[in-house]
This record gives sequence, C-alpha cells and structure tokens, in this order.
Amino acid sequence: MKKILAIIFKDTLVRFTSPIEWVFFLVLPIIFTVVIGASSGPSGDDRVNMIVVDQANNSLSETLITSLESSSSIKIEIREIEDANSALEQKKISSVLIIPENFNQQSLVSQNAELELQQLPNNTEALIAQQAVQAVLSRVSSVVDIANGSVARAESLPGFKFESEAALQVFFDSSLEKAQTLLADSPNRIIEEKGKTKDSVEFDPRSNASAGQLITWVFIPLIGLSGSFAYERQKGTLRRLLTTPTSKGLFLTGTIIGQVMTAIVQMLLLVLFGIFVMKLNWAQAPMALAVMLISSALAAAALGTMVGTFVKTESQANGLSIMIGMVMALMGGCWYPLELFPQTVQQIVKVLPTTWAMQGLLDIVLRGQGLTSILPEAGVLLGFTLIFMIIGIVRFKYE
Amino acid sequence: MSAILEVHNLAKSYGNFDAVKGISFEIHEGEIFSLLGPNGAGKTTTISMLSTLYTPTSGEATICGYSITNDTMAVKKCIGVVPQDLALYEDLSARENLSFWGQMYGLSGKSLKIRIDEVLEQIGLLDKAKLKVKTYSGGMKRRVNIGVGLLHQPRLLFMDEPTVGIDPQSRRAILDSVKDLNKNGMTVLYTTHYMEEAEELSNRVGIIDHGDLIAIGSQEELTKSVGETDTLILHVGEETNPETLAEEVRKIKGVLKAEVTDHQVSIITPTAEELLAQVVTHANNLGIKIKSIDIREPNLEAVFLNLTGRALRD
Ligand SMILES: Nc1ncnc2c1ncn2[C@@H]1O[C@H](COP(=O)(O)OP(=O)(O)OP(=O)(O)O)[C@@H](O)[C@H]1O
Ligand SMILES: [Mg+2]
Repeated sequence: MKKILAIIFKDTLVRFTSPIEWVFFLVLPIIFTVVIGASSGPSGDDRVNMIVVDQANNSLSETLITSLESSSSIKIEIREIEDANSALEQKKISSVLIIPENFNQQSLVSQNAELELQQLPNNTEALIAQQAVQAVLSRVSSVVDIANGSVARAESLPGFKFESEAALQVFFDSSLEKAQTLLADSPNRIIEEKGKTKDSVEFDPRSNASAGQLITWVFIPLIGLSGSFAYERQKGTLRRLLTTPTSKGLFLTGTIIGQVMTAIVQMLLLVLFGIFVMKLNWAQAPMALAVMLISSALAAAALGTMVGTFVKTESQANGLSIMIGMVMALMGGCWYPLELFPQTVQQIVKVLPTTWAMQGLLDIVLRGQGLTSILPEAGVLLGFTLIFMIIGIVRFKYE
Repeated sequence: MSAILEVHNLAKSYGNFDAVKGISFEIHEGEIFSLLGPNGAGKTTTISMLSTLYTPTSGEATICGYSITNDTMAVKKCIGVVPQDLALYEDLSARENLSFWGQMYGLSGKSLKIRIDEVLEQIGLLDKAKLKVKTYSGGMKRRVNIGVGLLHQPRLLFMDEPTVGIDPQSRRAILDSVKDLNKNGMTVLYTTHYMEEAEELSNRVGIIDHGDLIAIGSQEELTKSVGETDTLILHVGEETNPETLAEEVRKIKGVLKAEVTDHQVSIITPTAEELLAQVVTHANNLGIKIKSIDIREPNLEAVFLNLTGRALRD
C-alpha cells in the first residue's frame, strides 16, 4: 500500500513538474467550456442571420418580411442585391433570400411566384434558414388564400360587385391584414426544429459544453497513460523497478490508480466550476455523478493502458492519445450534440466510451436524472474498462 | 569463504542468437568480482538474468541462497542493481529519486530519510540534492544512478559498467567509492570493458567474450597463464598499414603472437627487449613509421589477447 502511494506521488510530481501541465489540466478545459457554452448560449441571440433583398416592394413582400422578422430562428437584414451577393461570396452570411419583382398576390396564387434562396452548401445554418423561409412562406400563402377567399366570397354575394379594381384591391389588402393578425398568434413551426433533442428537455449548450469539455480534457490525459508506460520503458526506470522487490502488478495498479485519482480531482474541479460559475445542475444527484465520473475515468485509463501496448515511444503515445481522445470526443457528442448527427452515425458511435460517458453526464446535468437512469451508461463504461484492461494487461510490454 | 552467488551453466538466447552460452562461476561473500569483456560480450545479459529481469534459457543461479528463477522476491531483496544506462526520473531531484526508489526497496519513514542522507553524502551530492537530475552533469547523474542501488544496503551489488562515458575525475570518485563500499562489507559484481578498472578493483576476474566465460581467477592466476611474457606495443603512423608489419614480426623467432588493432601492433613475447631492434628494422624496411613503443608486463589485456587473438578494446 505504501508503495502504491509512493508510485502515485512520484507520478504526480513527474506530471506537474512542468507548469504547462496546469494549462491542460484546468485552464484550457475551462476556457473551452466557457467559449463553447457561450457561443451558442440561449441567453444570447442564437438566430441564424439571413439577408433579404426586396425587389418587389409591394404589400405582399412587406407581409412576408414582417413574418420573417417575427421568426424565432432567423434574423433578417434588408440589403441591396450587390451587398447580398458579396456577403454570400465572402461567406459572411449563409443564406440570401431574393423576393423577385413579380412577387404579388396573383403570382402567389397562380404559383408563379418564385422566391430565390441562395445558400452556402452543406451548412446547418443555411438549412435552418431554408426551413424558416418555407414555414413563413406557407403562412403567408395561407393568409393570401384567406384574403383571396374573402374576395371570392364577397363577389359571390348576390347583387354585390366591386366598383373598380382599386376597390377590390383595398378589400383584399384589408382582408390580408386581418388574416395576418389572426394568424400572428398561431404557433411557429420552426420552434420544433430548434429543440430537436429526442427527449422533451430543451437543449442547453452550456450544460453540453460543461459535460463535453470535461470528458474531452479528462480522456486525453488518461489515454496518455500509454505515454507514462512508454516513458518508464524508455527511461529504463521500469526495468530498474523490476529489480526491486516491487511486483509488476503493484506497478500497474499504482500507476493506473494514480492517474484515475488525478483525473477525478480534475473532473471535480471542472464540476465545481460548472456549479459555482456557470450555475449548472451538476449537484442534483451526487451519487449518480460519482458513479459516472469514476466509471468514465476507469474506462479511459483502461483504454490508455491498452493503447500503451501498441506504441513504442512516449511521443508516439502522446500524439496517438490526443488523436484518439479528440476523435472520440467529437464523435461521442462532446462538442456537438449527438442529435445533429445522422441516425446511422448516432448508432455507430455507440461503440465509443465517450458517447456513453457524455449521455450519462447529460442525464445528470441536463435532464436532471438520478442514479437509476445512469446505471446503463455506467455499466457499459465498466464493460469497456474490463475489455480494454484485459487486453492491456495481457499485452503489456515490460521491455 | 562462502559463496553469495553461484552460477551453473547459465545461458540466454535471443531467438537463434546465443548471447550467453552456459557460464558458471561463483562470487564469495566480501569480494569484488569483475566481469571483463568487450562490447556485446554478454555482460548486461548476464546481470539481467541474475537480477531476475530475464528468465535464463537454461541453467540456474542462486543468490544469497535463493534461486533466481523460483525465489525472485527474496533475490531482489538481497541485491542492489546499478544499471548500465541511467534509470532515473530526470524531472525529479536527486532526493526525490532516492526517496521513490528507497520506498520501492521497502524503506519508509525515518529510516528512509536517514538512508537518503547517508547515500547523498556518499555520492557527494548532499548540497545539490534539491536540483532536478536533468540539470546534473553526466558524472553526477551516474553517481545518483549508483546511489539508488545502495539505499537498502544490499549484501550483493551489481554494477554494470558504471563509469562509461564520464570524465576521469568522476571515474576516480566512483572507483574509490566501490572500494569503500567493499571495505564496509558489500560484495560487488562489477562489469567493465576497461582492463585497468578490473585490475584495480577486483579480487577475482572473469573474462567474458561472445557469451563464453573464457577465463576466471585472480589477476595473478590469469596473468600466470600467459607465462612470463611481455606485451610489446608499437604505435604506428596513421597512413601506414600495420598488418604488413605484423606479418613480418610473426616470422621472428620468439614471437608468440602479433595482432593489429587500429594503429597499433601488439606483440606477445618472452623477450621483448631483445626483439626490439629487429622489429624496428622490419618497420624501417617496410617504410612504416613507429611513433612510440610500450613494453608492458603481463596484464589482463595480454590475457585477453592470448585467449582470443584480439585486443580487448575496439
Ligand atoms: N533484447 C535483445 N535482443 C536481441 N539481442 C540482444 C538483446 N539484448 C542484447 N542482445 C545481444 O546480445 C549480445 C550481448 O549483449 P549484452 O548487452 O549482454 O552485451 P554487453 O557485454 O553488456 O555489451 P556492452 O559492453 O556493449 O554493454 C549482443 O550481441 C547484443 O546485440
Ligand atoms: Mg552492457
């Protein structure tokens, strides 16, 4: 036991001997959490920007613009066509909506009205804008339908006839306005697009960032455990250790426990930051949190032990662990919510421990759930631990 | 004198390559025993087996009465190991290193602290103990490397080429400390490819070459085996081919052996002084310039040359 403590103490000294380690241990994770959490935070304006070019300049185009302005998912700006084109070219904006000159009631009804939506390819923002425009357009057309309906109804009244085209237009416009006010309170379809999480809970980027960055920055050094094994091999200290009355098992146990404990301290500090600075809901289920943190750290440490048997040098190990850690974090939903991924990808990434760690942590911090609901995730993580650890220990190289 | 280490037909192969080919020897309690041999002779492989790092391919050895294959823990408690390559945490200070390794040897608390101070004193680094090892000179690092092996006061100390690549001063200090340790009762197995070190330190020497222990005994016993011969060493100019000279010299009556290494010709003969004139004449005839001439009394170098036909170094 004393020897295990000595190994842990030595590893901690070696690790934190360079001040740069603190940057990776706390500074970077906190900066990333804050930046990523805020960049898409619900408190700020997270509407997608879109430029609208109004070439029609009539009452209908105005109606359309008013509707777009009230959309909760896009934020529009009226500009001239030249400005719009250059903004799109320079990728300053992802969507430009052009309302053509011939956009009016008649063309809308006869379906000749063609709004032109220019967008950057493969862009999620552009996708959101497109959906918003479609929703607004269908509302406007239904308003126009209603107004047209009232005109037709008026004309069908026995003995009634509009004195002139102008009179008809006035009637139409007032019907349009009425229909619009009536529909103004109807639910906006785009809202569903926004909170697209499977569960009913609203997506919170700050919780996501806090959980996701915690996993990212804790997994990478734990996979880097492979590096400390390589370091001990390269420096000859492992060989020397094996000439002392200290067993291989004790060495492995001490090294792994030490790294897991350091990781747990790191996670607790990040959780405390989440609780006290970001006012997140980490503290609501302490037992569940403890189980999730420990099982995640164990899985990552076991992965590091396994990776260690595939590398020769410390620098190989470091490069590889950053790569594996980053890919796993990105694919596990630690940087973007998993729900943004295609369905098949969502299924495939279940082979990654990060996916389970992330879902378990979100259960706690985002969905406010407790111990019973994270047990499956924790179970899967411990399963990963077992598999990685067995491979790691069987293949372990002492030379 | 009782044997603290007994080796019987110990062998180690790496695949098809036999690095150590069934060697047998013993070391008595209280002596310094040197394994003398050139690069690649199998010294480190032997020490690795004896310190239980490698399992022997065949053969057996006992240390302090325990088998190196069946009783590894007991063996490890009895030995201290100073590996050929530095095995230290360079980011930690000497004191932190000693503290860690001391605990790995099972020391703790007050006795650990006392031993660390004693060892620091012994290796002359008490005043620099707090500095990181990576800031040390090569010689200082070597001394810490040795210090680690002394912490638990082992009965038997393995030192694998502890003076390689350091300045003469540090080397002197290390050789002296080995003698001191031995005076205080520690048995030492010392490997080296420097004949002078083996000569200065050891009670007995084993000469190892290509995995075979080709001679073993005290220095006197070994040199006697080459007879009353001297070694005549001719240092020749770099531009000349000493092999032609060696060929001529071999024809001279009374020359037992003549071997070439780099720019020197080593001649083993019982009558060095008398041959000198003839050898110089031959050299002149061949146009070979002789820069200097040494005549050496029988020594381990001569023993090695006699046994292998090669010089020990290079
Ligand atoms: N792990 C290994 N795999 C294969 N061959 C090895 C291995 N270790 C050593 N050898 C070979 O075994 C032979 C003996 O090596 P060893 O290290 O024991 O020599 P040494 O006497 O200690 O030499 P040096 O003075 O250079 O340290 C060498 O030819 C070496 O190349
Ligand atoms: Mg060696």
